[in-house]
Amino acid sequence: MTLVAAERPTPLRLVDQFQLGLDAPICLTWELTYACNLACVHCLSSSGRRDPNELSTAECKRLIDEFERMQIFYVNIGGGEPTIRSDFWELVDYATAHHVGVKFSTNGSRITPEVAQRLASSDYVDVQISLDGATPEVNDAVRGAGSFDTAVRAMERMAAAGFVGFKLSVVITRQNVSQLDAFQALADRYRAQLRLTRLRPSGRGADVWDELHPTAEQQRTLYEWLLAHGEQVLTGDSFFHLAGYGESLPGLNLCGAGRVVCLVDPVGDVYACPFAIHDEFLAGNVRSPGGFDRVWKSSALFCDLRRPETGGACASCGSYDACRGGCMAAKFFTGLPLDGPDPECVLGHGEPRLAAVGDTIPPRPSPDHSRRPRGPAAPVAVALLPRRPNRAGDEHPLAAAGAAHHPH
Amino acid sequence: MPDPVIEHRDPSPATADPAMDESRAEPTLVEADLLVEDVSIDGMCGVY
Amino acid sequence: MPPTVPTGTTDFDPSLPWALHPQVSLRPESFGALAYHFGTRRLSFLKSPTLLAVVSSLATQPTGRDACTAAGVAADELPTYERALATLAESGMICERSAS
Repeated sequence: MTLVAAERPTPLRLVDQFQLGLDAPICLTWELTYACNLACVHCLSSSGRRDPNELSTAECKRLIDEFERMQIFYVNIGGGEPTIRSDFWELVDYATAHHVGVKFSTNGSRITPEVAQRLASSDYVDVQISLDGATPEVNDAVRGAGSFDTAVRAMERMAAAGFVGFKLSVVITRQNVSQLDAFQALADRYRAQLRLTRLRPSGRGADVWDELHPTAEQQRTLYEWLLAHGEQVLTGDSFFHLAGYGESLPGLNLCGAGRVVCLVDPVGDVYACPFAIHDEFLAGNVRSPGGFDRVWKSSALFCDLRRPETGGACASCGSYDACRGGCMAAKFFTGLPLDGPDPECVLGHGEPRLAAVGDTIPPRPSPDHSRRPRGPAAPVAVALLPRRPNRAGDEHPLAAAGAAHHPH
Repeated sequence: MPDPVIEHRDPSPATADPAMDESRAEPTLVEADLLVEDVSIDGMCGVY
Repeated sequence: MPPTVPTGTTDFDPSLPWALHPQVSLRPESFGALAYHFGTRRLSFLKSPTLLAVVSSLATQPTGRDACTAAGVAADELPTYERALATLAESGMICERSAS
């Protein structure tokens, strides 16, 4: 028969193909600096202080050259707060000039009107503004006093500059699940696209996980809301563990760590995923011979992650095919075995496993660049700010946003 | 008896898919979706 | 809501000349290829090396159908491959080529 006959077998499903890994990531997260002007209580990268060993501008450009050679389609630049690096714009421009798309995550503090104009006129740069509450009270309890105002100001400037479709990115917590509609309204107001992602017990998130992760009931609420809002809300596939409820959410519904995506950190360390900054998930360093390319293709960790999964303790569960056993990082940092259920398994299989962990201290995220040294592994109380007495009793987020406007 | 198939791609993982039985693949009934699948670039977990 | 971007044609005509959209990055893979459109930010998964060969040769072939046959697509597979090209046209990955 002809060559074509050999292709008549059904091609692999996309998700099955991706589980086996690719010769290059499709995209990746690049944390540019551990420096940050904020100190969010749940920071996945435990950021705050710059690491003295950060990649230099030249090293960053060499890395971008590698990304180009490997045809990585885009990078999501984060940190810390990436715009704090003095060479931030130089690197963004270098990336886009070298066929690597850029999306960057920011708390908005450096989004001036001029910056917003510059972004609006670029086709190859996308922006993601972080916000974790639709009101200052809820947001600032996690991200710090004034951070809501900063983010909204940035969104106003983006909208004024005509940048339609930038992302408003929210980490879902116990305290903001009730604000889903309000987040959508905020995004609509500034012509942004809403993005919701999952809180993990990663970085400083480990300290506030017990208090901030959604309850089982709230997970269900979130799931129903996501189903109802379908394609217009992005999730970065970070809720694929909710597929255990039945219907899958839009997305690949797989863990991409080490298979189609990964993290490069400010000192060039390559981790499977930004939620897994720990030696256990460290694949190598871009400064080593062979650079990022060799780490991606040949590191022991990534080769291991690309072996077909067998499900382990989840193999006999009817939902395993949908949920794939959930999030590796969520399991690791709650002390659960990686071949068992997710701590937030929607069928409740995580509960007895967590109980078995008991008071044993789970692995500690490392490194830690927090400005305030983290204490022993005890939960940190996250108190909502008291209602400001001079504010009208209206908690509607648009009223709060209006009050935050600073004419200039 | 189906003609022998020259396997030109990497061996399948352990989870064999019965749909890969070549004798059942009718090209004219194969959906175009089989050859092209669209994915959202935001739709894979592990990136901000 | 994200901006509305023209997503290409829904009337794919294989007897016309076609080409990969200039904003698309086509990355060969063992299973076929990945195609990423920098304008629409859509990612397409081409699940056949033959389809990759077809798409890669579009710009130098007189018609879409010619690109298929030149890549070794058998006559009874043409509808499948032309439907695949139609899918790519609909998402803006390939576009009609003006006569050169």
